[in-house]
Amino acid sequence: MIKNIRPESYAELLELLNEEDLYVFAGGTDLMIRKRQWQGAERRFDRPIVYISHLKELHGIASLETHYEIMACETQQSVATSTLLPAYIKEPISKMATPSIRNLATIGGNIVNDASVGDSIPLLFALDAQVVLRNCKGVRQLSIQAFILGKYKTALQPNELLEKIIIPKRGYEGFYYRKAGLRKASILSKLSVYVLYRGKGEKLEDIRVVVGAVNDRPIRSRQAEESFIKDHDVDQVVAAYKALMVGSDDKRSTKKYREEIASRIIDYSLREVM
Amino acid sequence: MRTIEFVLNGQTVSVKTSLSRRLLDVLREDFRFTGTKEGCGEGECGACVVFLNDQLVNSCLLPMNAVIGQNVLTIEGFSQTRRYKEIENAFVDAGAVQCGFCTPGMVMATEYLLKNYKHPTEDQIKEGLSGNICRCTGYQAILTAVKRLFEEVESL
Repeated sequence: MIKNIRPESYAELLELLNEEDLYVFAGGTDLMIRKRQWQGAERRFDRPIVYISHLKELHGIASLETHYEIMACETQQSVATSTLLPAYIKEPISKMATPSIRNLATIGGNIVNDASVGDSIPLLFALDAQVVLRNCKGVRQLSIQAFILGKYKTALQPNELLEKIIIPKRGYEGFYYRKAGLRKASILSKLSVYVLYRGKGEKLEDIRVVVGAVNDRPIRSRQAEESFIKDHDVDQVVAAYKALMVGSDDKRSTKKYREEIASRIIDYSLREVM
Repeated sequence: MRTIEFVLNGQTVSVKTSLSRRLLDVLREDFRFTGTKEGCGEGECGACVVFLNDQLVNSCLLPMNAVIGQNVLTIEGFSQTRRYKEIENAFVDAGAVQCGFCTPGMVMATEYLLKNYKHPTEDQIKEGLSGNICRCTGYQAILTAVKRLFEEVESL
């Protein structure tokens, strides 16, 4: 019988993680499916499970002077409906899964799970988010780019926990988000494009362009973004991003479809910004 | 195994089970509340949705750990309310029920919409029902029922 552990405190959780290799269970919307068996049977876990979503230290959303903080066990729904967060964070999250899944699924789970189709990760790439990781000995902070290493591969150590996400405030004024899938709800993205900007047209000050679900990691080129701020050349940005799309055909879509549609969405959204 | 206490349809109950067992199985097998259905078993179809502290959730994805000390409302509990009766009437009037398997979940999702919106747009209604799959009606009759319900919402 696999152990199920419900720690009484955050300190106890960190001690437990230091002692043995555990499945960290937050919302469970992915883990309960991955470990399913036949109808009615208990999930087949091959390691002990530790539940974390009841710990109050892992809940909370804050808008501080320089940044937003989202604790890892906040649900996607609480992020999508928070009065403290701007629309450019809330809207992409509100388009994930379905209402009843968003009420369970956590923002931290989507990041740590690190599926290439995780829809919260492109957004965090664009926003230069940082993740705060804690173990019983201390804390470290990484950029989301340094944390997400590849498909299902993060820099998280076995004794560490993703505690919170830090999103710098940079006064963005507009965004464009589009994802493609077989239907709007409850679907894994074939691809997604997220564009964030400050200033418009000739007065464009900053722009972020991220393509999700095409490669193992989201695609973002700061070089292409910076050249667009200077010369407003849409075709050059599209070509730069297209060259970075190296993903292959899979059960969700083909490489050709993804390249074509992602390029068109980037083209359309940049012309909107101009 | 441990004894888990929670509030089910307004009554404090306790059940001896494991933390990882699904709420769906506890509802159906231990309490015989079979209005909550298992369709896909992976959160896609919405036949198993219940309220956990006023939030609509898929009970097929919910381990009992998440239920400790919390409030759970199933279709059996909700069916005792006046608001349920209004939803039932709207579904019957619009012919929004065929085989009935998805109906408890559709009714719960409709109640979640009523809790969150006063005058939702058609897109918001569709989004609200997007986690519930129906293989019979083609959705149009369900959509009609929910739209009509909101037209009468002031009286609810």
